[in-house]
Amino acid sequence: MLVETSDLTKTFGDVRAVDGLSVKIPDGAIGLVGPNGAGKTTFLRLLLGLLRPTSGRGRVLGHDISDGIPVREKIGYMPEHDCLLPEMTGVGLVSYMGRVSGLDKNTAMSRSHDVLQFVGVEEERYRKIAEYSTGMKQKVKLAQAMVHDPALYVFDEPTTGLDPRGRSEMLDLLRTIAKTSGRNVILSSHLLPDVESICKHIVILDGGHQIAAGELKALLSGAADRLRVDVRGDRAAFGQKLREAGHEVEVGTTGLRITRRPGVEADVFRTAHTIGAEVRYMGSEIRSLEELFLELVERNTRGGA
Amino acid sequence: MSISLPTYTRRETPLLGRSKRVGVIITTGLRRELRRPASIVVTGIGAALTTISSIVIVYLARVLLPGQPLDLTFFYVPASNVAILFFVTLMSAIVGSGLIADDLHSMALTLYFSRPITHGDYVLAKAAILGPLISLVSVLPLVITPIVAALFGFFPWDVALPAIGLSILAGVLFGSFYTAATLFLSSLTTRRAYAGAGVFAMTFGLTFPAQILTNATGNSVFLYASAWENYLAVARALFGAPQTMIDWPPALAILLVATALAALATYARMRTQEVVTA
Amino acid sequence: MNAVVEATGVSKWYGEVLGLNGFSAAFAPGITGLVGPNGAGKSTLFKLLIGQLHKDQGELRLLGEDPWNNVPIKRRLGYCPEHNQLYGWLTADQFVSSLLRLDGMPSSEATRRAQEALETVGLTAVKDRRLRTYSRGMRQRAKLAQALAHDPDLLILDEPLSGADPQARVHILRTIADFAKDGGHVLMSTHVLYEVERLTSNIVLIHNGKGIASGNVHEIRALIDRHPHAVRIATPAPRAVAEALAPLDHIASIEFPAEKELLVRTRKPDAFYRELPAIIEDRRLEVTGLESPDDNLEAVFRYLVG
Repeated sequence: MLVETSDLTKTFGDVRAVDGLSVKIPDGAIGLVGPNGAGKTTFLRLLLGLLRPTSGRGRVLGHDISDGIPVREKIGYMPEHDCLLPEMTGVGLVSYMGRVSGLDKNTAMSRSHDVLQFVGVEEERYRKIAEYSTGMKQKVKLAQAMVHDPALYVFDEPTTGLDPRGRSEMLDLLRTIAKTSGRNVILSSHLLPDVESICKHIVILDGGHQIAAGELKALLSGAADRLRVDVRGDRAAFGQKLREAGHEVEVGTTGLRITRRPGVEADVFRTAHTIGAEVRYMGSEIRSLEELFLELVERNTRGGA
Repeated sequence: MSISLPTYTRRETPLLGRSKRVGVIITTGLRRELRRPASIVVTGIGAALTTISSIVIVYLARVLLPGQPLDLTFFYVPASNVAILFFVTLMSAIVGSGLIADDLHSMALTLYFSRPITHGDYVLAKAAILGPLISLVSVLPLVITPIVAALFGFFPWDVALPAIGLSILAGVLFGSFYTAATLFLSSLTTRRAYAGAGVFAMTFGLTFPAQILTNATGNSVFLYASAWENYLAVARALFGAPQTMIDWPPALAILLVATALAALATYARMRTQEVVTA
Repeated sequence: MNAVVEATGVSKWYGEVLGLNGFSAAFAPGITGLVGPNGAGKSTLFKLLIGQLHKDQGELRLLGEDPWNNVPIKRRLGYCPEHNQLYGWLTADQFVSSLLRLDGMPSSEATRRAQEALETVGLTAVKDRRLRTYSRGMRQRAKLAQALAHDPDLLILDEPLSGADPQARVHILRTIADFAKDGGHVLMSTHVLYEVERLTSNIVLIHNGKGIASGNVHEIRALIDRHPHAVRIATPAPRAVAEALAPLDHIASIEFPAEKELLVRTRKPDAFYRELPAIIEDRRLEVTGLESPDDNLEAVFRYLVG
């Protein structure tokens, strides 16, 4: 198990930020999602040993979390907020942090350059961080998390402030890291499609508890028995024609939903041909993580209230 | 023949131990602070001024200090040079004020504490950066003076050598207090300017009012509030100069306890640091 | 119909630094997404529109008028700046109502409207908490409330969803959609492209201070013939489908990325989709799935901006 907690609790005065949390997170690429105040950041800080639990226990990569030092040797943390030292150069900061993690001088310097190359920081690495753009700073943050080659990466909102190009570059980098064998990723983000594109497993927190966890594919394969079709043309007539052919059709604003049956696809195209419409999309009814998330949180709120 | 494009590379070498990691923080910090123009200027002028004025006093001792025997007790004079107070304050305020405050401001603390070091390691490293820098002003002049005095033949080596040892002791005592106090002030704020102002306030807000009150009321107990006066009392005891105004045992105790408390308070501050995200 | 914003050759420099450089675009009524890399000129454009900056060159019209030195038009605008620094010691209620009173509204009406606005964005439960205790998503909603409270005709929103958790996002998107449905116009800049797509197909793409494209994202995509449209077809018999499609003259390439899959690139997507049902029927092809992975804003952005 990558992370195992048992009844982990952290209170700040009256607030139970993490409340009797018992999770089992497997190896691989895991998404950690939850509304604001769900306890995600507190949970990550407990894992890193930055906070001490009020009660309960946890293990990360086989070490107890109260034993902060060995855990932190194996974790690379990319925080959400600004955290770089502005008067240092890019390569200076990454190698410094590498050495604070225990790399010797030569390895630190060599890996810093490798890692900065990997994330795409070219000659800017010799300039002071104070002069960097947002995108460059995020890359340096990623580089400092990578330099000591940790077994577990923790990324907290890694695409904040990045423009579309920067986001897509960052997501590609994170995906490469997640796909590297022997390396694990915990990605905490509000941008659920980002999480969907990188993670195989999801943990959803709300109110300090885990309200759902599991393989993304399993959680999201909603109604596998329905076909979603996007049509350009007379949608209502399309649906009507299909019903006449004996299919169960639901015409919605984002497309048609048809109960699967052998031959339904052929009928869809035949109908399109007959009434002169275009089929623009045909595929599974897959729920998005966002829909699942909102549904679960609402259920949790109602249930708990 | 093959093409190897940069991809994710593994680390082959093992990680070094904690002492090495802390050592890196210290050497990198020292290097950065020593390169700062402000530190160079303050150190240079401070050490030079204090040393030169002390040596001048040595040279003109007979004229300037009639009645002062030229033995070990003489070396209390350079140790009580008020320039030391001034330059230690300056060095602490300029260099030391940002040591923790800057990390709080940039929120780099998160990076430090996500590394395999403890809060104690961090505070110790910062102290090991500031301590030597302050010693350049509080200890170095006191060490150079006896050496120069002996080299010029004003004093025999069997007086100068103990003088060096005792000077180091006194200088370290004073320097430690300022190191701990400055680090504590630096840990309270994100703006190094405020911490620096705090250092000045500590020096001038305690020392001068203490002296004024003592002169006004004739009661020397106020002097115990001033770190400088406590240091002087201890220095007098060390060099065998006559005790005046306040006694050295309580003075020593106050300095040591204050230093320890400041250090513990800094450590406690670091432990409770929680970075706030919007 | 008159464009909400009409810019013709608008330039604005900050000394040597480029803000906008001959920016020309027309923003249609309704919701428009303004998209572009960092430093492209989005904030400059917004500041010109709200009258905070004066252009160096060109013509700029907002709701038909020149926004510079134009106090009356500010009454019709609601602006949400990007930064999150708010007056921490004020409660949300105080924040919105004081801004309304700055607008010249009498106190009782200001209070009432503030509460309505906070209700719209879903902050009624926490309206008496100080802003410094608010999370990012809550701050975004507070900003949106102050932009809506005086019932403007046009909302100008700079990164309204940045940092918001999914629930706040849903609230904000719904508020914006409802505002547009009631006849309001919205100008929204964002980096998260799929969020824009959820709200609208109207976009303006800005890069290096220039307007690169404006209009319906699908129409723009169709115009980018340098990058033929990719269409992924799921079928148990890919070769048969490939044979049937290959003769079409607008097909640029056909690939087989996976066992039961075909990736077709076509230069004329409209023609392709129009002809496809007939081809499937005539040749009795078995097609089980169809999707176009790059007919979206992300692809448009990538192809035009790089």
